Amino acid sequence: MPDGAVSARAETKRRRKLNLRPWLRALHRDIGYLAVGLTIVYATSGLAVNHLKDWDPNFKQVSRTHQLGLPLPGDDDAAAKSALRALGVHEQPREVYRASETQLDLVFDQRTFHVDTSSGVVHEEGQAARPLLRAANWLHLNRGKKAWTYVADFYAIFLLFLALSGLFMIPGRKGLIGRGALVALLGAAVPIAYVLLSGGP
Amino acid sequence: MNQPKSELDRALARRRFIQAAGSGTVVLALGSAYVLSDELTREAKAQTLGDGRPRLPPGQRVIQALRPMGGEPGDPSPGAYRLRVHGEVEAPFELTFAELLALPQIEQALDVHCVTTWSVLGAKWQGVRVADLADRAKPKKSARHVIFEAAHGYTSNVALRDALKPTVMVAHRLNGAPLARAHGAPVRAIVPEFYFWKSAKWLTGIRFANHDEPGYWETRGYNNHADPWKEERYA
Repeated sequence: MPDGAVSARAETKRRRKLNLRPWLRALHRDIGYLAVGLTIVYATSGLAVNHLKDWDPNFKQVSRTHQLGLPLPGDDDAAAKSALRALGVHEQPREVYRASETQLDLVFDQRTFHVDTSSGVVHEEGQAARPLLRAANWLHLNRGKKAWTYVADFYAIFLLFLALSGLFMIPGRKGLIGRGALVALLGAAVPIAYVLLSGGP
Repeated sequence: MNQPKSELDRALARRRFIQAAGSGTVVLALGSAYVLSDELTREAKAQTLGDGRPRLPPGQRVIQALRPMGGEPGDPSPGAYRLRVHGEVEAPFELTFAELLALPQIEQALDVHCVTTWSVLGAKWQGVRVADLADRAKPKKSARHVIFEAAHGYTSNVALRDALKPTVMVAHRLNGAPLARAHGAPVRAIVPEFYFWKSAKWLTGIRFANHDEPGYWETRGYNNHADPWKEERYA
């Protein structure tokens, strides 16, 4: 076989091999775009939930004590009105509940006033949602375990694709054996070393 | 030669002083809180329980007050509250909040241990023993487990023999005050022998079951038994 024919065949083969890379890059880029929103949700929530013991990523907590002048009216509704007027609260409570002889609870959507009708001490407690983080955490923890499971599965598959396609997208001078392999091995070594050093599960 | 300081220089110097003083105060306050907490941890580590176990399970650090730790809140309204006691029982029943308050009440100082490594010691919980509720519901012989049911489908599972221990209760007051929303108002379970996720907040039901049903966290990689003294944190 003439030399020219051999080299032409080798060139065609090389081109065919290289032709996969533009596809890989295009897919990597588009799947990357698709994953941006979900990555922000999962990464933000991951940071928030990782430090759950240091703060409440879903709610801001409210806890205050007030002192009312006495006496309060004997009738529950009248006592509630009088207490709320003194506290400067203009909303209507969802519920006025006599929890005991000396405790009247005034329940609102976001907070409750526990009024001690004998001492006039009012303990206000409640929580206000951090809307964006709460939604992100709700999605991340997949509390409903319904359709979101499928979205999360697809996202995980996308991440796997992004990680693996990233290895092959840009040809290195030494192929896979080079800087890429070293950095990839370093990345893989982190969880392995952690499991080994910590004793694992 | 010293130049007379301008009003701007003086304002900047004042601002720097205030910033430094503020930062110092914050560092000092955080440092004091940390040192105080470590002192509590050291004290707790030196103590033992009646059965010889250390008071503080391994890997835990004592803090002074419960942390909220999230969860999807339930309806805090005492008027709308219902507690269902049901499942493998002869006499299922439902209680309103007022009916729960009318049952024999106990107050217990209990230690609780969160899987995220904090512990709160000796918090005073007021409520009703689960064993007393079980006496009224009369569990069938087939009942082996108790499932605590809470708002938005949250559940936690405990073996029947553990759920009937005298320290296990449904609580509506903490340290003399009504239970706060962040801690499960109006009623939560308290199962002090296990990591705190077993103590379901916003409790709506106690279900007796003939087989084990791993709950919310137990199906998400956490240990099914959750004994803090054995550090059974994860599956």
